[in-house]
Amino acid sequence: MTIQIRKGKRATEPQCLGSQRSLNSEDLLFPNQTGDSKAAVYFQLSNGRFRPPPAHRLIAHHIVDTIAPIFFRVSRTMWLPLRLTLLLLFLLLSPRALLRSGSAAVVSGEEEEFHEELLLKPLPDRKVLAHFHFHSIAPPSKSNGRHHHLFPKAISQLVQKFRVKEMELSFTQGRWNYERWGGFDPISSNNAKPPGVELWAVFDVPEDQVDAYWKNLTNSLSGLFCASINFLESSTMYSAPKWSFRITPGRLRYGTLPREAVCTENLTPWLKLLPCRDKAGLAALLDRPSIYKGFYHSQRLYLTSNASVPAETVSGISLEQTLTVVLQPNSPSSSSIHSGESNFQPSWSLSSIFGRKISGKCVLAQSSIVYLQLEKSIFSEQKDNMDNGPNSLASEGFAGGSGFEMSLDPDIVIEEENQSQHKGSSVLYGFWVEKYNESQPFDLGLKWKYPVFWSSRQAPLHASRFLMGSGNERGAIAILFKSANSADSSSGSRHVSDGCELQVDVFQVVPWYIKVYYHSLQIFVDDEAKPIGDFVHKIQVSPSKDKTSPGMMEMLLKLPCDVRSAALTLEFDKGFLHIDEYPPDANQGYDIPSAVISFPSFHSVMHLLSNDSIRKSPLLSRFQEKNRVQSYTEVLLVPLTTPDFSMPYNVITITCTVFALFFGSLLNVLRRRVGEEERYLKAGKKKGWLRVLLSRLLAKLRGKPMEEPDQPSSESAPLIGKKLVLKVILVAVLAVAWQFYST
Amino acid sequence: MAEIAESPSTTEHPLGTVGASRSKASSSALRESDVDPKTMRTTTPGLKRLFLTFSVLLSFLLGFPFLWKTVEIYRSPLPFGDMDALSKQIESSPLQFPCHFQSVFMTKLTSQTLERQCGSCGENFTLSVVVDSDGNGLTPNCSYKCGALGALNLGDGEAVDEALRSALDESCSDYGGKLYTVVVVNGDGAGEGPKALVGKHRHGWISGRELDAEAMIGRMAEMFVKIFMNGGREDGAIHGEFMPVGADGRVVLSFSLLNANPDDWFYDWDFQKLDDTLLNPVIEALKPIANISVESQVLYHTPKSSFSYWDESLGSYIFSTKDLPFFVNSNEWHLDTSVAAGGRTKILQFVVYVPSANECPLSLQLPSGEISKTNGFISPMWGGVMVWNPQSCIKYSGSGPPARLLMHPDDLHRIFEVLMGQLRQLFGLKSDSIYVGAAGAYKLLPSEKGFTEWELDVLSRQHTCFNLHSSGTTLGSLSRLVQSLPRMIIKDEIGKQVKFSLEAAQLAQTNASVGLYEASAASSRQARSLAEDAFFHPSIMSVSYFSFEHCFAVYSPFFLPVSLHVLLAALREWRRYKQEKAKYVRWKVKQVKAA
Repeated sequence: MTIQIRKGKRATEPQCLGSQRSLNSEDLLFPNQTGDSKAAVYFQLSNGRFRPPPAHRLIAHHIVDTIAPIFFRVSRTMWLPLRLTLLLLFLLLSPRALLRSGSAAVVSGEEEEFHEELLLKPLPDRKVLAHFHFHSIAPPSKSNGRHHHLFPKAISQLVQKFRVKEMELSFTQGRWNYERWGGFDPISSNNAKPPGVELWAVFDVPEDQVDAYWKNLTNSLSGLFCASINFLESSTMYSAPKWSFRITPGRLRYGTLPREAVCTENLTPWLKLLPCRDKAGLAALLDRPSIYKGFYHSQRLYLTSNASVPAETVSGISLEQTLTVVLQPNSPSSSSIHSGESNFQPSWSLSSIFGRKISGKCVLAQSSIVYLQLEKSIFSEQKDNMDNGPNSLASEGFAGGSGFEMSLDPDIVIEEENQSQHKGSSVLYGFWVEKYNESQPFDLGLKWKYPVFWSSRQAPLHASRFLMGSGNERGAIAILFKSANSADSSSGSRHVSDGCELQVDVFQVVPWYIKVYYHSLQIFVDDEAKPIGDFVHKIQVSPSKDKTSPGMMEMLLKLPCDVRSAALTLEFDKGFLHIDEYPPDANQGYDIPSAVISFPSFHSVMHLLSNDSIRKSPLLSRFQEKNRVQSYTEVLLVPLTTPDFSMPYNVITITCTVFALFFGSLLNVLRRRVGEEERYLKAGKKKGWLRVLLSRLLAKLRGKPMEEPDQPSSESAPLIGKKLVLKVILVAVLAVAWQFYST
Repeated sequence: MAEIAESPSTTEHPLGTVGASRSKASSSALRESDVDPKTMRTTTPGLKRLFLTFSVLLSFLLGFPFLWKTVEIYRSPLPFGDMDALSKQIESSPLQFPCHFQSVFMTKLTSQTLERQCGSCGENFTLSVVVDSDGNGLTPNCSYKCGALGALNLGDGEAVDEALRSALDESCSDYGGKLYTVVVVNGDGAGEGPKALVGKHRHGWISGRELDAEAMIGRMAEMFVKIFMNGGREDGAIHGEFMPVGADGRVVLSFSLLNANPDDWFYDWDFQKLDDTLLNPVIEALKPIANISVESQVLYHTPKSSFSYWDESLGSYIFSTKDLPFFVNSNEWHLDTSVAAGGRTKILQFVVYVPSANECPLSLQLPSGEISKTNGFISPMWGGVMVWNPQSCIKYSGSGPPARLLMHPDDLHRIFEVLMGQLRQLFGLKSDSIYVGAAGAYKLLPSEKGFTEWELDVLSRQHTCFNLHSSGTTLGSLSRLVQSLPRMIIKDEIGKQVKFSLEAAQLAQTNASVGLYEASAASSRQARSLAEDAFFHPSIMSVSYFSFEHCFAVYSPFFLPVSLHVLLAALREWRRYKQEKAKYVRWKVKQVKAA
């Protein structure tokens, strides 16, 4: 491993001494004697009328007189060593260092920290990845959750109240393109998230209380982030993975809302947790229209607290807020098209991507760095040039030889190299933002000189998931793994031996109305059906319970390394929902959350030399952590039978009408006097044909021979026929008129 | 067949054998040819169909209440009478506490016209007058031991206060220590006239040379009524009904330090230390009234939303009182409701605003043209704002970002004084130490805890009164609401909450009448909290209750046609029966005539 680090020009010129700080130190030495002269005037805002009472001495002032001396005694004893150090510092260091140490001496213990970083990376498909990383740390202190200086109070109180040990919340729009944007690097393993909301949390409470804490947490987060996270409260929406999701699960709960729409109303509360919000520093780049028109947008919040002793809640909290966006730089059309090369990488700058520039760092941030990450394979032809000397890695050397040019000189160049696979290693250029200010804003630009091609490093298997079957009754879920580098697999050194196995963890949650038959699990390896026992090393299934809990499947597959493709299928029946349980847009279909595919034997690590500047950077130290390679599959959309929602009333009306008809006719039959009617029939000269028919029917029902009427029917028949024709015509005319006027 | 047997038989149309035999059997006296079938009949009309239709109608009518019962929604019986009575009683007669006064001198208290104000003392105060002229005065049951007070050094108010406390509080325990005492000392004062002081506990004293007895009575009465009973508040002060205490008896004091523009400078404070040393005694003192928790934060990039202008003569940027409603910038000041404060906890925000370099120093101009000495203001039930200007308004001009500055402890003390004054004002108390009454000025000794004992008594009396008032109005409006919506589901839980709330309110009232301040405050708080629980119960809040329209839509397709059938059938049969009966009667009459 060869790592070369070079610092660029850093601003180290001495700065002039601010006068106000030294004034304050003087005050510390000589407490002011203005006690008696202090007077207080109060007035109140009632009835919109302000009536200042005469100036009198404040009652509470008395407190000061009694307690103040203690304070000053303390400060006086502290002053002596302080003065010595100050003198020394005065001689040795720059005046700014003096100020810092002066203030640090007064504040006891560790302080809350804030770091901001931004990583920019051109992607192979002419897009640009921007990854914002904000890190706040609250050291262990008994005032956590009560008194805060930089750390967001709301998060600290959340951790204290719900005993959260570890929590991750992500809001995502769009889908990470694993094939083009990479599936092996730390960003894709940590920050590529499923669409919608994903939340998981580990609690530091007894197992029987975890669900209650989870429910309260979801409601609080829902209020905090203006999102419908509270829907995760219902037990049908979350599950408790045992071993496949995290390596050390603990008391873990996991839930997703695939359909949650993510927009600015979620970003604003997220920004509120940053001390500078989007007023200054790197977050000032977050121009809403430009980040939301990107291809992928994921805002994430990850916190850990080291609450080891549950009784004494003295815990430190580390809060990591990341925002990952993939944007299409709108390249000037002239430069890319003139040569007819569509593969020309677009040149971009921060102002062209975001429409804004960085005007200095957030003053509260300990570090504020922008990194530009480039794949090393771009420079492969310049290898000789690089070995010439230490200076060759400076940007000028690159710019002269390679195909790109940066508008600013980097302050630090960090090179990464994996000893096993040289492919995928990259170079990081660091820029200190603190050097820039309003008059000289930071606007990094990248200009390509000639077309370059590279590909991102892929996960060992590319996973996708789809639905099979048709109709509203049953179907099947299939998860398909395809070897990402089928061509390379033979050449790769570690893939040759026959005993080599590729471990794959599958974690899948299915809502209860998708009734999965887990016994129908089938495995196809290289397009051949294989017995399950050969490949499934470990499987744990908790079947769904209707309206109570979702179905969950955890599976550890061991596939041979030279596998080209593998597929899992599971059949399911679609259930019926109660009419109350349908969402407002029921015809859209129902989402099956993404399955989590992880590769326990592969880790996404960047090997960087543990240099001081790297250790201080939370982003880079995060990159150097060993994390499993992890990816999410697509969200599936299952159409379910949706009823006509006015149906209940229709059913009620029809049944009631039928019942009423039945009841009415029954009552009529009971009280009808058939004999009398027959007499009337005989007596009446003119009889309707309907009546004749009815009396005949009745006679038939009674089983008696019908007494024929005296008149011959032939005479009356044409008369009735005329009437009937007239009636039909009348109805037809009415119908036509209705049709005519209603349209 | 039955139908045939029922039908009236006539001679013209004999219907088979049965009808014929019947007509033969029926009679002989009148000849059949005489009977007109249109007007007469020879047989009694049948009752079978009439009975049938009426039995159906009757069964429907009888079944209707059962149906109504099944359709009925569950409503827990609420004691509407008690609820209305409580709210009326609290509206009409304000709660009054007994107070016990003791004056140690040789005079009597003339009964003044006492204001019947909510939370004040009622008519039933006891007054024990102790004459301490020459060692053996008359001592009532709650005994002031004559001679317990030795020679007082009247120069030092603190010392006198302590001496009085040790002498008076030990002697009297009958009223739970809640005995207000005024001591008139005819000592050798400075000669500028009588001096009146009110101590930190429950007593005051008047001292002076050659005191006029009548004037002393007046002053003493004023001290009792205006200070001990009403807390020395003035007319313009916040009314007692606006007590900033949550329904669950909890208050969160949220302190925020706002740096308007951290690029110019930004300050931090060591609030933990302030909390430990200065705030804790105050919180302890207020414990009987509210359970207070404290939290603080520092926010950055928080400009105010009103404008200020430069005033050359005053040498500072000025914002005037009419700008105050726009000072609080709710878009940028993320003061945050606390997660720790769940439910109905009251949050009081105290904001210390550090202006940016282009508006420094920033001062508040009073309507009189003066500059406010505290540079702050309060907003009732919300909290207070104070502007704190850095000592020098010279913008940090070095290259690179400015350093974090820590607030000096002295500045913190000054800020704390102002904020404490604002807290006292939010609770409706005076923030200065002199009360000027009609009869003269009274000096009020300040307590280390921020609130003196007699002030806390006033607060707890008002708190009880406010809670009871609130629970009474809440229950009153709940009863009106429930009665106005007859198809709203009322769960048993609500019924229970109402019941317990009424009980707690009753208990608070009895406790108040006995004079147990703490107990009545606690149960009144409970009454208010339960009443609000009942009023804001989720089942009441839901809009989709089973409405009458719904009921009609479901049942009308069946009952409308069926009831039409049944009613018409019954009507027809009845009419027919009457008609046939008349025919029969006519025939009978004719027969009788013929006979």
